[in-house]
Parts: sequence; C-alpha cells; structure tokens
Amino acid sequence: MKYALYTGCVAKGAGRELMSATVYAAERLGIQIREMKDASCCGAGAIQEDNPLLADALNARTFSLAEEQGLDIMTICGTCQGVMRTAQIKMEHNPAHKERVNAALKRDSGREYQGKVKVKHFYQIVEEDYGLENLVKRVTRKLTGLKVAPFYGCYVLRPHEYSDTKVPDRPDYLEKLIAAVGATPVDYAEKQKCCGFPILMPNKANALQLSGNAMIGALKAGADVIVTPCPLCHLNMDSYQPEIEEMLDRKINMPVLHYPQLIALALGANLDELKMNTHVVLPNEKLLEVVNR
Amino acid sequence: MRKHDVVIVGAGLAGLRAALELAGKVDVAVVSKVYPSRSHSGAAQGGVAAAMANESDDSPELHMYDTVKGSDYLGDQDAIEIMTHDAPITITEMEHLGCVFSRDAEGRIAQREFGGHSKPRACYAADRTGHAMLHTLYEQSFKYKKDITFYNEWYLLDLIYQDGSARGIVAMDMKTGDIEVIHAKAVLFGTGGYGRAYKITSNAFANTGDGIMAAYRAGLPLEDMEFVQFHPTGLYQQGILMSEAARGEGGYLLNGNMERFMERYAKSRMELAPRDIVSRAEQSEINEGRGAGPNKDYIYIDLRHLGREKILEKLPQIRQLAIDFLGVDCIDNPIPIQPTAHYSMGGIPASKDCEVYSDEKGTIVKGFYAAGECSCISVHGANRLGTNSLLDATVFGRRAGKSILNYLVGAKHEPVNEAEEKRKARKRIDDLLYTPSTESANNIRNELKEAMTTNVGVYRDKERLAAAHKKLKELQQRFTKVRVEDKGKVFNTEIIEALELANMLAYSELIIAGAEARTESRGAHARVDYPTRDDVNWMKHTMVSAGADGAIQLKYKPVVVTKHQPEERKY
Amino acid sequence: MAKTKFLVSRYDAARDTKPYLQEFRLEIPQGATLLDCINLIKWTQDGTLTYRMSCRSAICGSCSMKVNGHARLACKTQAADVVIDGAVTIEPMGNLPLIRDLAVDLEPFFDSIDRVKPYLVPDESRQWKREMLQSHDDYRKIEDASTCIMCASCWSDCNVLEVDPRFLGPAALAKAQRFVHDSRDSDTIGRIEFLSRVTGMWDCTHCAECATRCPTDAKPLFRIKELRTAAMTHKITNNNGARHVLAFRESVGGTVPGIGGGMLNENYIPVRSVGFFNLDGILSIIPVGVRMIIRGKNPPILPHIIDKFGEVRAMFRRFNDYRKEYRK
Ligand SMILES: Cc1cc2nc3c(=O)[nH]c(=O)nc-3n(C[C@H](O)[C@H](O)[C@H](O)COP(=O)(O)OP(=O)(O)OC[C@H]3O[C@@H](n4cnc5c(N)ncnc54)[C@H](O)[C@@H]3O)c2cc1C
Ligand code: SF4
Ligand code: SF4
Ligand code: FES
Repeated sequence: MKYALYTGCVAKGAGRELMSATVYAAERLGIQIREMKDASCCGAGAIQEDNPLLADALNARTFSLAEEQGLDIMTICGTCQGVMRTAQIKMEHNPAHKERVNAALKRDSGREYQGKVKVKHFYQIVEEDYGLENLVKRVTRKLTGLKVAPFYGCYVLRPHEYSDTKVPDRPDYLEKLIAAVGATPVDYAEKQKCCGFPILMPNKANALQLSGNAMIGALKAGADVIVTPCPLCHLNMDSYQPEIEEMLDRKINMPVLHYPQLIALALGANLDELKMNTHVVLPNEKLLEVVNR
Repeated sequence: MRKHDVVIVGAGLAGLRAALELAGKVDVAVVSKVYPSRSHSGAAQGGVAAAMANESDDSPELHMYDTVKGSDYLGDQDAIEIMTHDAPITITEMEHLGCVFSRDAEGRIAQREFGGHSKPRACYAADRTGHAMLHTLYEQSFKYKKDITFYNEWYLLDLIYQDGSARGIVAMDMKTGDIEVIHAKAVLFGTGGYGRAYKITSNAFANTGDGIMAAYRAGLPLEDMEFVQFHPTGLYQQGILMSEAARGEGGYLLNGNMERFMERYAKSRMELAPRDIVSRAEQSEINEGRGAGPNKDYIYIDLRHLGREKILEKLPQIRQLAIDFLGVDCIDNPIPIQPTAHYSMGGIPASKDCEVYSDEKGTIVKGFYAAGECSCISVHGANRLGTNSLLDATVFGRRAGKSILNYLVGAKHEPVNEAEEKRKARKRIDDLLYTPSTESANNIRNELKEAMTTNVGVYRDKERLAAAHKKLKELQQRFTKVRVEDKGKVFNTEIIEALELANMLAYSELIIAGAEARTESRGAHARVDYPTRDDVNWMKHTMVSAGADGAIQLKYKPVVVTKHQPEERKY
Repeated sequence: MAKTKFLVSRYDAARDTKPYLQEFRLEIPQGATLLDCINLIKWTQDGTLTYRMSCRSAICGSCSMKVNGHARLACKTQAADVVIDGAVTIEPMGNLPLIRDLAVDLEPFFDSIDRVKPYLVPDESRQWKREMLQSHDDYRKIEDASTCIMCASCWSDCNVLEVDPRFLGPAALAKAQRFVHDSRDSDTIGRIEFLSRVTGMWDCTHCAECATRCPTDAKPLFRIKELRTAAMTHKITNNNGARHVLAFRESVGGTVPGIGGGMLNENYIPVRSVGFFNLDGILSIIPVGVRMIIRGKNPPILPHIIDKFGEVRAMFRRFNDYRKEYRK
C-alpha cells in the first residue's frame, strides 16, 4: 500500500504534530507514504472564492503530480479532503469545465489532469483500503476506559453531493475507529456541526462560540477527549480553548486529538513522540492515566 | 376593529398585483391564510400568455380569437379583448419589476407553444413561471412594506355586505385564534380557485373556494360554477401537475398500446389541442380499454425524444416531481398520467373593471371587487386556455387596483355592526366545536372527493349527476355532526380544515346544480347524454344564488359577443 | 406491512412547559410521502396535531420540518426512505420560535429577507419601451437563486444562526446574490458593500447545511461563494473576511514578495486579515500567538516554499485571465 501524502498547510505549519503522528501511524500500520513536496495549498475554499478557475487548476495540478507518480493521494486534513474532492467532482460532472481547467494548466505548467487519481483521507484509507480489523491486530495499547467524542468537521460530510461519506447524516467511521482502539465513543448532538474556524477572522465571537458549544456538548456527554480528522477544527478548539473558556466562563480542559494521534497512541506511541506537548491543551489526567497504564 | 381604505383578501398574483397598484396611494391591507409566497399562483408552471411577438408574428387580436374559440364561445368578448390587449404591457411591467423570465437568443422574453394558442405565446421562466411571477410581486411588497399592511395567516370567515355595499371582512388570526373585523371602504377578493373538492386534483390544499363561498353566504350570486377544467396531465393517482409545457416542448401522449392517440381527436393540433379536448380524448381511451398499466387506467406522457439537455433546461421541475412522487425519470421512461381537476372557470361574477355583480342584470355591488381565479369576468368561458390564467390574475389584479382607486374618490367607511359580525362568525365556529359530534371530517372529505371525481368529472350525465347530488345532501347532513377535537385557540388548523370542508360541501352542490341544468356539452362541461353544443338555448352564463329559504336558485345571463360569432371548434 | 413508529414533537403553550415526543403508529401506504403520513395521523388519529402545508408538490415551501434531525420538505420525502430502525422522528424547524407542535414563527426568517433589499433596483436613466434585454448567460447567473421557495429549511439548520441570530442567514444571502448578479440591477456595489458588513456574507462559516438541506437549486452556500467572488472581483475588500482571502492569494501565489510560495503562511494570515493598521485587531490575536509560541506550535517564521513553485507562480501571474475565462 503506497500513497502520495498531501500534507496540506497546517501539518507543515501550526499543526506539525499532525505530521509526526501521521508518519508514526502509517509506518506502524505498514502504509507507505511519500510526501508531495511539490503540491500547493488546496485553496481551502478561500482561493475558490477569489478565483474559482485558478483554484480548480491548482488542485488539478496537485492531482496531476500524483498521477505522474502513479499513486493515489492520501490527505490528512478534512478541509483539504473536502475541497479537493469538490474540485474533482465538479470536473467529473462537467467535462467542459475540466477541459477549461486543463487548458489553463497546460498553458501555465505544462501539466494535464487525467481524472484517474483517487483522493482519500487517511480515515477512508484505514477503513476502506486497510481494514479496521487489520488495525485491531496491531493495537498494542488498548485505550480502554477512555471516552472519546468524535468531531467530524463539515467538509467531509457536506454538501452531501460532494461527500464520500456513505450516509453523511449518520457518519460512523470515527465511532468505529474509537471502538477499534478499545476506547468508548460518546454521542452528542454537535458532533456533525461546524467548529467555526472559517469565520475566526471575520467573526471571532461566533467562531469561538461554535467550538465552545461543541466541546461543552462533548463534555456533558462525558467525553475525556475529542478526536477530529480536520486539523482546522483542532486549531479552533485547541489553540483557542483558553479564550473560549474565558468567554463561556467555565473550565473545559478538553484535549483535542488529531485522527492519526488516536491511532498512534493505540499502536504504542508515547506522548513525546507525538509532540502532544505542543498542544495548547495538554493531555489531561484521564488521557495520561490511560496512556501510562 | 381594524380599519383600512382597502382590504384585499388573497396574496396570489391577483391580490398582490392589485396591492402594488394601490400601495403608497391609499391605506391598503392584504389578508392571506398562507404567507404570500405560499399562494397557489406559485405552483403555476408552464407560462403566461401575451402577444409579445418575440418568437413569431402575433397580435392581441389573434390572441383574442384563440381565447374566444378556446372558451367554446362562452367567454365574454369585451373582457377577453381587454385582457389580450393589456397582456403585453402587463408582462413587460412584470419584467421591469424584476421577474426572472427565460430568454431567447436576442435576450428578449422567450416564448413557447401552448395548447389552443395558434402562436408561440407563452412567456415562461423554465417550468416555474407562476413561482417567478409570484415571488417578483412578493419582492415588491418588501419595497412597499410601509404602505401595505399584511395580515399573514389570517383566515377569511365572512364578507360584510349590507344594502348593496361591501364594508369589510371578518377574519381569524390563526396564531391567536382571535376573530376580528377589518373595516374598509373597498374589498377585493383574489382568493383563488376551488379545485380541491376533487380526489384527483392539481390544486393545493388551500384551494377550497373560501372567498367565493363568503360571497355566496353574503347573498351574492356565483357564475358558471359547473365549468371545472380537467388538465390532461396530472401525475397518476396524485393529480400533481405535469405542465402543459411538456407538450408545448414536444411531448407525446401515448395510450396503453403506445399509440399517439390524439391523431384520432385533433388531427392538426394533436397534443396541443385545448385541454377539454385532450382530457376527453384521454378519458375515452381509458374508458374504451386502451389505457396503460395493470388496470388500464392511465395514459403516458413521453418526453424521452426531447433528450436530456432540453428536459434539464426547460422542464427541470416536472422531471423532479415525477422522480419524487412516482420514482419515474422522464429522461428514460414515459410518465403515467391522468386527467386532473385543475382550474375553476366559475366564480364571483365581475365586470371588466372587476366590480362584482349582485344579479344577472348587471347591478354593481358598491365597494366589492374580484380578480383572479375566484372571479368570473368571464375571460375563460367554458374552457380556459393554458397560460391565460396567470395573465387573467395579473391583468385584472392590476385593473382592480386602478378601478378601486377611482372608486375611493369620495367613498367612505360605511357603518358596520362589529359585535354582531363577530358574533355570527363565532357562532359558526362554536357550532363546529361544541355540538354533539360523531362524524369524521376525514370520511366526509374523502367521500366528497370520490363522488366529485367519479360523477362530476370529465364526462357527466343525468344519472351520475343525480347520484352525486344525493350524496352531497347526505354529506352536508353528516357534516352538521362533524367532530373537531382541537378546542385550542392557537393555530388551530383542525377548525380551519373543517371550515374549508364546509365550503367544499357547499360549492360542490352548486357545481352539480349548474351541471344538471345545463343540458348541452360546452368546453369543460361534457354531457354524454347531450353531446353537442346548443347555442340556441345555452349561449348564456349560469348565475347561481341562495334563495330566501336557502334553496339554490339558477338564473342566466347572456354572453357578450362582439367580434366572433360562434362556430364549430375544430383543431 | 409492519407499522412504523412516528415520533412527533408536540407542544401546546397552554399545557406544556416544553416540547416532547409523542409516538404514533401508522402503516405507510405504498408510495406515500411523509406529508401523506402526517395527514393520515392528523385525520385519523389526532386532530390536534398542528403543522403547515399547502401545495404538497414542493413548491409553496410550507411543510419544512426536521426529519430525523434535519430540515426537509415533508411533501417531497418518500416516507419509507426516512424510516430508521422502524421509526421516524419529526420535529419543528430549528432557529425559529415555536408556536405549536411543528408550526414555528417565521417572522425572523422573512425579516431577514427584508434586510437585503430583496427587489430589483433598475437603472432609472434607461427607458425601456419593452422588456429589458438580458442574455441567456446572464439569466443563468440568477436562475438558481430564483428557485428559492422560502421554505426556511436552510435557516433551520444553519450553524451560525444557532449562535448569532443577527446573521443574515442563507436564504437572504441567496436572495441577495440574485440581485447582485442580475444584469438589470443598478445597485451592485451598494449591495456588495452592505453584504460585506458584519452579519453578512463573510459571517457564513461554510457548514454547508444550507446547501445540503435546500430542496431547490437555490443552495445558498454556493450563492454565498458567488457573492464573495463578486466582492473580490469588485475589490470590496475592506473587511476581515475579504482580507483573509487576500492573504491566501498573497501567500499561496507569492504575489507579495517574501510572504510565501505555494503554501499558506499561517503567521501572515491573522495579521493580514485584521488589517495591518488595526491596532485592536492585532492586539486581539496576540494571546493566541503567545500561547502557540510557548508550546512551540507557532508556524515556522520563514515561509515554506514548495518545490516547483514556479508553476504555481505562473498561474497566479495570470490571475485576471483565469477570472475572465471562468466568466465565459
Ligand atoms: C399546478 C398548477 C399549475 C398551473 N399552471 C398555470 C400556467 O402555467 N399558466 C397559467 O396561466 N395558469 C396556471 N395555473 C392556474 C393559475 O396558477 C391560477 O389560476 C392563478 O395563479 C390564480 O391566482 P390567484 O391570485 O387568483 O389565486 P391564488 O394564487 O390561488 O391565491 C389565492 C390567495 O387567496 C388566499 N386565500 C384563499 N382563501 C382564503 C381565506 N379563507 N382567508 C384568507 N386568504 C385566503 C390564499 O392565501 C392566497 O393568497 C396553474 C394552476 C395549478 C394548480
Ligand atoms: S453554509 Fe453558511 S449560510 Fe449555509 S448554513 Fe452554514 S453557516 Fe449558514
Ligand atoms: S434557499 Fe433553499 S432551503 Fe433556503 S428557503 Fe430557499 S428553497 Fe428553502
Ligand atoms: S406542501 Fe408545499 S412545499 Fe410541501
């Protein structure tokens, strides 16, 4: 199993610990990854709004880079995944648009997107290509007793027409993973809602309120930690947690794990290897207890 | 008591268009039992007729001739002339207000073929024309929000009519259950049609003839009630409309043997013959054993040859409807359809300036106006041409506005006895709530719809009409003991539905009475026992009213013939 | 066929302190829509059940309600399709005050429409004897938004409205797009400026609930994106949302020297977004910056430049050509 790893910007910037966990988890699972050092930002929806055709061309370029290597793409960011799949599906449904994108791409970078490459998030690869049952076999540290709140993030669920999630209104892949590593998934109403990250700049209060509501929902449902496949959700909930606590005037102290971190912990990684001490919210008692058992 | 210069009941095309004409000039209120954007005008799909001559040569005169002929010569030609001549300016105005019309290659409003029109005359917005027009007027109502008072989700109970003049209405605020009098110098009804009494119908649940029955209860006559249009293409068993635009764009009608049977009924116009003719042809095919399906009780409309692209561009909504309701994608399969009750040609008799008549002699009620489907001006006669009713509602809504402005000069609020009006309305509701009850409204409604569809449908005869009449009497009797469980005040939809059912039971009998008396076949009224049109005895409008004892009285009024003498209708 | 459990939310202010779910059992008739089923319940089991409906053909927008937690039109839903483990849960729409059972107060929704000047402002200097001309392509730009039926499904499920009732909301923004892009409207700039204020287009968090729940082609999120494109194209960028987008352009495209190359510069984004000369804004982002530096979570100071950045730069050099080609 080999994939071209599309890191996205966060894993190279404010979420470098995501990269560490990804490398660790992939290696232990026996999934080969090759980092795409020549790929650009996916646009994150922002470049799409600035210049829709250019944004699609940027992603078509990324796709063509992977096609050149003959590898499918692995993403580790829910937003990248959603944005890149949207670009693909748009071109798939509208061949004229694809032609237009390719014409521009060819002109400016000499490349062409053929439409062959598959783009999958790490979680899809684990579930669909690798198999959770195989993952279970490699678990060396069962996270028994840890209550984990899944937080999906919008981009992999909606709009439904651009989502690969089978029943996007009732997703269950995070729950399945949580159970596979021996932890207990908790259910709460906000797990499919928006974390608010996209409006952090234009409307910080709303952005933080959204994350706050989600974390309080998880807390009330008894969660010890949150896990998310999207590092932007992580950033909003983790880096801003002190401000959120201040705003809501209550303690939350909720570690927010990246999806590969949960896997890596179950595969035996220690917290340092995962650079978990770079999170703004450090591992809480319960997490330490489970990991150090 | 609330007080306005004008109260308009109905926020469909007719009501809103009139309100716009009056906004800023007088104090106008609009009362509607649903939010304006929910009015049934929004369901209109195919188009609105106007001799814009964008796609070919055309003229209001030709439009007039087609309409007169389509009406089976029962339409009043003076009114038809006004409608067809006002059409282009009315549509142009709609466009200037922002209506999102489909466009032709030159950027003008696109036009398509429609049944009974000899030219491509239907202006359209894909297959959501009524929606586009209704929302345009609704948008404008935000512009004039300071000048128009909206009473949304207020239900009209009664018209206040006394000594020859209309003085306001009694209505219920559904959110609170409070009954209120709205006092006005002039009242306009734009309350829409009455097709809901049929089992197979294209009409919304709201189309229960409340307005016309309020007028009737107040002692005013109704005109041509027996003329109910059956649209040829209702979704099988649902009645939901598959717009005539589907045939305008080239769709075929096929029977169970996959034959284009219209060849036998209207050789030159084929599928695009007027609706009465096509519906009868379909019913004949079914009756004679050539229907499709296991019970041979439906027909197909086949669009496959139009191709995916054209369907997606021109008929997206009807494609979606067939997918949602029957699971049939018309790109790949023909759609099962059957005739469906669709349009009410009859209604409140009114002049070409929308003034309501109080008798067959043309006496005008002071301060009372009617426009749109609830009115009978009569521009549609015995059979309405497709796309002429959005036009009717818009043209006459506009005219009603102008006409009311003229009337208001020197008019004043005539006295009303508020307490008495409220008491009468309250009693009607309390009777429903508190009399010993045993009967289920649901059963009564179902039996009514069944009786109307089976016995007062596309084909009629003496026996079936008599059977329906008998059934109606029984149902009306049973209704006096109907059960209403909900005694609450807030948003009591059960009481509203009971009031609507009372209206349906009452007007259905008027349809039957008119149909029993009219011993001829004309337009949508097809009597198997009197298969031909009888111009000698029946070139006249039915006027039905309640006699002193409440019994149904039938009188007649001549048709206005100006330019076109009756001829045989051939297509 | 077995009976299906219908768990329907009930509330009557005269009796109840809060809504509760009541169970009804009904055999779903072949091909019945959810509205057909609810009607059957009302007409044969409990006449007091309260909800709105009219056209039963997905055009009047009356019958939206939450089905298994998400807004949809009851009349456009085959009942059998929404049964989960033998049950369907039906609740009133969200983000609106409850009146009774499934009926909610729609005034906040219609008020939002009112706020965007939802009517054409034609160019008064031009006199048209006939219809104003509009090309088919220009018509296509407003067609999708014009299909909105005001059902409020989008409003019901919008995540931002849950935390901020002042937000214009998806339907109003879709309505606004219909005028911003209407070739006949003369107030394009004024509209974009208004929509660029707080509570407007940049406040949408992209949860995509609206685009998912909308039963028509109006799909507000996509219209909001078109509005933002219009704002960027017309250079109405004096706000955090638009500057945030500019920061992407500048760092990914490397259009401002030293800021980046192919990837986002996460140090640059916040500063650029609040505006270089906005002292309060800059101060507001300091705490998070400090926190991140303490943890070593702050992005590298030197911007990351991707391999083969030249290809990406070449694309951004033709920025305007891409825009032009897209409009074609
Ligand atoms: C499915 C369908 C498709 C159609 N397609 C076409 C077409 O393509 N072309 C065409 O020309 N015509 C078409 N028609 C006919 C046309 O749509 C209608 O005749 C026309 O829209 C009627 O407009 P209106 O303003 O008179 O009434 P409506 O739009 O029906 O409005 C009636 C108003 O009265 C109010 N009202 C009613 N009763 C009460 C009460 N008791 N209290 C308070 N308010 C009340 C309602 O709330 C509503 O606002 C179609 C009809 C249907 C059913
Ligand atoms: S995408 Fe934006 S407008 Fe749509 S529901 Fe989400 S926050 Fe609201
Ligand atoms: S945008 Fe869609 S969901 Fe929102 S009100 Fe309009 S039709 Fe309904
Ligand atoms: S009843 Fe009209 S949209 Fe459902």
